[in-house]
Amino acid sequence: MQPAILDKLRGLVGGAHALTGIELSSYVVEGRTPDVAVFPGSVDEVQSVVALAAETETPLVPWGGGTAATVGTPPARTGIVLGLARLDRLVEHEPGDLTATVQAGMTVERFQTALRKRGQWLSLDPSDADRATLGGVVAANASGPRRHLYGTVRDQLIGITVVTAEGALVRGGGKVVKNVAGYDLPKLFVGSYGTLGVIVELTVRLRPLPETERWMRVRFDHLKDAGVAVRAIMGADLIATAIELLDAEASRALGLEGTPTLLVAFDGLPEQVDWQCTELAAVTTPLGGPSVAPLPDAAVLRPEPAWMSARGLVAIMRFSVLPALVTELMEHGAGAARQRGLQAAWIAHAGVGVVTAALFSTSDRPELKTVAAVLAEWRSLARSGGGHATLEWAPLAVKAQTPVWEDLGAAGRVMQRIKAQLDPKGILNPGRFVAGI
Amino acid sequence: MTALTDTGRATVRQELEGIVGQGGVLSDPDELLTYESDGLTLFRALADFVVFPQETTQVAAIVKLANRERLPFVARGAGTGLSGGCLPTEGGIVISLMRMNRVLEVDYENQIAVVQPGLVNLHLSWAVAPRGYYYAPDPSSQQACTIGGNIAENSGGPHTLKYGVTTNHVLGLEVVMPDGEVVWLGGRTRETPGYDLAGLFVGSEGTFGIATTIVVRILKKPQAVKTVLAVFDEADQASEAVSAVIARGLVPAAMEMIDHLTIQAVEDAFDCGYPRDAAAALLIELDGLAVGMVAQTERIVQACRESGAREVRTARDEPERQLLWKGRKSAFGAYGRVSPAYMVMDGVIPRTKLPYVLRRVNEIVAAHGLRVGNVFHAGDGNLHPNILYDPRKPGEEARVVEAGAEIMRVCAEVGGSISGEHGIGLEKADFMPFIFSAADLELMQRLKSAFNPFGLCNPGKVFPTKKSCVEVGPVAYKPHAIEEKGLAQRF
Repeated sequence: MQPAILDKLRGLVGGAHALTGIELSSYVVEGRTPDVAVFPGSVDEVQSVVALAAETETPLVPWGGGTAATVGTPPARTGIVLGLARLDRLVEHEPGDLTATVQAGMTVERFQTALRKRGQWLSLDPSDADRATLGGVVAANASGPRRHLYGTVRDQLIGITVVTAEGALVRGGGKVVKNVAGYDLPKLFVGSYGTLGVIVELTVRLRPLPETERWMRVRFDHLKDAGVAVRAIMGADLIATAIELLDAEASRALGLEGTPTLLVAFDGLPEQVDWQCTELAAVTTPLGGPSVAPLPDAAVLRPEPAWMSARGLVAIMRFSVLPALVTELMEHGAGAARQRGLQAAWIAHAGVGVVTAALFSTSDRPELKTVAAVLAEWRSLARSGGGHATLEWAPLAVKAQTPVWEDLGAAGRVMQRIKAQLDPKGILNPGRFVAGI
Repeated sequence: MTALTDTGRATVRQELEGIVGQGGVLSDPDELLTYESDGLTLFRALADFVVFPQETTQVAAIVKLANRERLPFVARGAGTGLSGGCLPTEGGIVISLMRMNRVLEVDYENQIAVVQPGLVNLHLSWAVAPRGYYYAPDPSSQQACTIGGNIAENSGGPHTLKYGVTTNHVLGLEVVMPDGEVVWLGGRTRETPGYDLAGLFVGSEGTFGIATTIVVRILKKPQAVKTVLAVFDEADQASEAVSAVIARGLVPAAMEMIDHLTIQAVEDAFDCGYPRDAAAALLIELDGLAVGMVAQTERIVQACRESGAREVRTARDEPERQLLWKGRKSAFGAYGRVSPAYMVMDGVIPRTKLPYVLRRVNEIVAAHGLRVGNVFHAGDGNLHPNILYDPRKPGEEARVVEAGAEIMRVCAEVGGSISGEHGIGLEKADFMPFIFSAADLELMQRLKSAFNPFGLCNPGKVFPTKKSCVEVGPVAYKPHAIEEKGLAQRF
């Protein structure tokens, strides 16, 4: 980066908020160090930074908590990391309207804490809530187990403010829960991974906090039986907030016994939760799941942190398939890994068909071709049922063999046209997303 | 866009018939009149052709022909829209999807249905009802409106308070793009990599292409339903009760308000048992588990009483519930009893602003020497002031339009929106600057260019015609062709 640009950036955000050199270690992505990381203190400053990047055609990476930074194709070039950490204010919370407006850099946890004090919550439960920011959650379309009942970002986001690739400030949607004026810009930015604009503020719909919530754990001897139980739960008069299906290996990663397990959550009035927990046992017992017990309050719900710190992790793949095909994918996928001498662990938001798998090798130097072969088979398993797979995490060497994203065909070309319209110079997080975007 | 010569017209007609068969093309001006407006009769425009394709390939062929001839085209469902969204403002081809009206597949295991765009909304719920399922978005016109039209407008309905609007229930769409290419946006699974093109398409008011196959979620019917009617002597009390219910941590499935004038009209017409002297009534519906239903209903009753309700009635059985709903659902038809015509407005406000905005609406309409009936989705702040008028009185329709613009300004001022479910279409294109800046609109234009670069697909909609213009020309009333023939009435 030319020193003149660096100087200008320091001038825009203040020297203390522009990191260079060794201070950039937290912002290294896929082995590439950016030239500078800047942390604007206002929306105006964000606009100025983006305008400068546009003018100088410098790549710019919007950065929230960095929790999804490794998702994507390794970047060809890096330039400016634009951190939103200083834009972290709760702008407005009107409990009577069940809406709140918040700056993009506020963490999910701080936001939820503020809402809880007034009896409400944002019905999203992504991982890493202490670090993940709201802007990042939108950009990465992050969600958690409770999406089973409450949906994902697209269902909660009602308004968005974005700095465009040219540095203009644009608002889409609004502050009301129902709104069809103009195109649905909030949807456009959900899952856009920073490729269309820098999200600086957002408005979400909220829900009242449930009086009680309880997680139940059901143990099975066979994964297939657990899958049948999922469909029985969906067909019963139960309103589960979450239905997580874990194979034996994923159960172990959560510190549970190593058997196929269902974790099912209910919320509402205490009498409603009690009735549903009893009913759950009535549904699962005849299907091979008689061992039904509450999960301890402090139980971990996501295995990814354990996987990431475990030895031998070579890839994490995420799938979206028809819910009825989840157990088949898990069983065949695990089989494909075993056949080639690798191990896999699987967890699914079973009711909505969103599955995550980790692939492990016991060898210190796994054969890359073997890893690629398993991932290719996993992907084709998902595709054969009309689904998709995304390589969510992998070392560079694995990414070199296996594409991160599916080929999206004609839809990919529509996406390229949108990208070309909104970011004609291609400065926003270039080269990391689908269809070469 | 070129005007067609007589020979050009004959050639295009022949080609269209080649695509959809004889009997699938209208070009006789008398027949075209039926398609000159939608549910908002304020605007009219005549197409050169109305075409009735029966499958996706035919839609694609029509669109390709339109591109070759540089003819504008617009998709049309049942024509129940309320913003002029499906009008052929620049002539060209109206592509009616009414012959593509089948349920293609219902997959109960995965709780999805695959349907054609011309399927009537309610017919989908009927199709899946025997297995205990339904399709949640329930616009008031659900007996006639189509799923394809719902996609274009991102339609809502009374039960969207808890269950969300159309976009929350659509997983994927097969779309004939404005250049005739057939593309799937989204799919049958909950997630597709890349941008949320299906989410972007829903609510694009027919300007991004034509959906020809639609994958929607179907929901299990709730185990239990309770419906409550709360009656108030003052409209403000009813508005406050809406917030009071929310403040108690309850999210009803629906929370509808019906004002004094509307109650009068409904009782005249249908005798639903609403107290005639009430200033306002709230129709509140809870659904979910049978367990806890009594306790939750009690909380609703309490909230209403504490806000000043003089009477709170709970439907004891299904017939009684249907009767309470009948008053709400037939309100629009009932206005015919008290006025020769009315125009329905659609605006959204934060629900805490309800008391203030309702007062302002009444003031504005009175200042224009008109009357207004309010029946609307109070729970999500979606207002529907219905301004009553006599179209035969010179100048009245123009005053209605002026009052409507002022009401939209108030919605914008309190942080709301100028449309909750009817869309912008032609009607509100010039109100867009009330809530969007030039930069906001510029970005939307670019999105439109990504989908519809030549602007042939439903031109003249959504975007303001003149810069920050607020003028809406007074439109002289003229009876619609089918009214003149005595086949229909305005209501």
